[in-house]
Amino acid sequence: MTGDEDLDGLAGEYVLGTLDADERAAVAARRLREPALDAAIRGWENRLVPLIESVAEVVPSEDLFPKIESRIENSIVQPRSATIIDLRRQLNFWRGAAIATGTIAACLAIAIGAQQFRFKEKTPNLVAVLQKDAASPAFLVTVNVENRTMTVRPVAAKNESGKSYELWLVQESLGAPKSLGIIDEEGSASHPTLAAFKPDVIKSATYAVSLEPEGGSPTGQPTGPVLFAGKLIPAN
Amino acid sequence: MVTADELGQLLQRVGRHDRQAFAEVYQATSAKLYGIVLRILSRRDIAEEVLQEVFVKIWERAADYDSSKASPISWMAAIARNRALDEVRRKLPVAIEDYPEIQDYASEDETALAATMRNEDGRRLAECLQHLDPERRQMVLLAYCDGFSRDELATRFAQPVNTIKTWLRRSLAQLKGCLGS
Repeated sequence: MTGDEDLDGLAGEYVLGTLDADERAAVAARRLREPALDAAIRGWENRLVPLIESVAEVVPSEDLFPKIESRIENSIVQPRSATIIDLRRQLNFWRGAAIATGTIAACLAIAIGAQQFRFKEKTPNLVAVLQKDAASPAFLVTVNVENRTMTVRPVAAKNESGKSYELWLVQESLGAPKSLGIIDEEGSASHPTLAAFKPDVIKSATYAVSLEPEGGSPTGQPTGPVLFAGKLIPAN
Repeated sequence: MVTADELGQLLQRVGRHDRQAFAEVYQATSAKLYGIVLRILSRRDIAEEVLQEVFVKIWERAADYDSSKASPISWMAAIARNRALDEVRRKLPVAIEDYPEIQDYASEDETALAATMRNEDGRRLAECLQHLDPERRQMVLLAYCDGFSRDELATRFAQPVNTIKTWLRRSLAQLKGCLGS
């Protein structure tokens, strides 16, 4: 057997690390839908891992762990609030009512503003409803432009096993889409990094969600289909 | 020294977002994982950034860790190596002369390799590597430990890239046969 038909050889080279960037990305994507390839990769990982014993340990900088801790603090799952559960109920009602394009987004935005007022939470400035079409909103992104903070919450997105939803910021001035992190099973983005962007970019950008291999795009760019997208609108 | 079992239990707790367990996993594994990514990436600044991402991923995905499929260190090393390899492959090659201190390539001394192996799997792997041609053994080590691409191996061994690919695949098949799995 030659080339990519040599599944075990391909898996072995993936683990050895000798594939180029495109080949690596292709294998990372294929393993999600090819259990035989995935198993072959695991087999090679387990076979070759003793080699790490020959790699010298190096103690990283002392300040590295605090940096990691501050990153994961942004990813700690927040319990789903009553707000979201209420919204979901309302959403089901709205869906049944088959409201036309745009109206759902407006309703959700108003509902969030109202609910958050009721719960005396800090009102976010803007909200984006990420949807495929008017009848299927999937995620709510709320953004406080002043603090450059962001939360992502699932409305009707279903988890796909072995895959991850990745959130992207898309805006002309940025060139390529910029990853805002993986949306975890609880719906929080892993480490939202809006701090790196200017307020006008944050406000005018499109927020898009693509379906990526588990753990996120292997290339730093969307590799899977863009399933949901939306722009920010005022929430109050 | 944390045992594999203890590390597995710590990962389970990390899967439940136990911060204390996460600190212990970091304490136990960060020097090894940093050694791995630094060897592949050669640059401390990039390697530390990658190591941060690796531990964030370990935090996020610990609940998915399945002890029936891999040892804890195998699972974590795969995350670290994949992230480091993705990074090194998408970057322009680093001029090695700029970083002379990292020209510490895979040891040519295979007896030393065998001696570093702490467990039975490692000793078997070292023994099977001994059955490969010295040059091909060296290729496997340069790829796995130092992150050499096919192109870099082609340059180092003065062979066409396709020849390197053929040799790598044959070496892998031979290793697998020798390991008997």
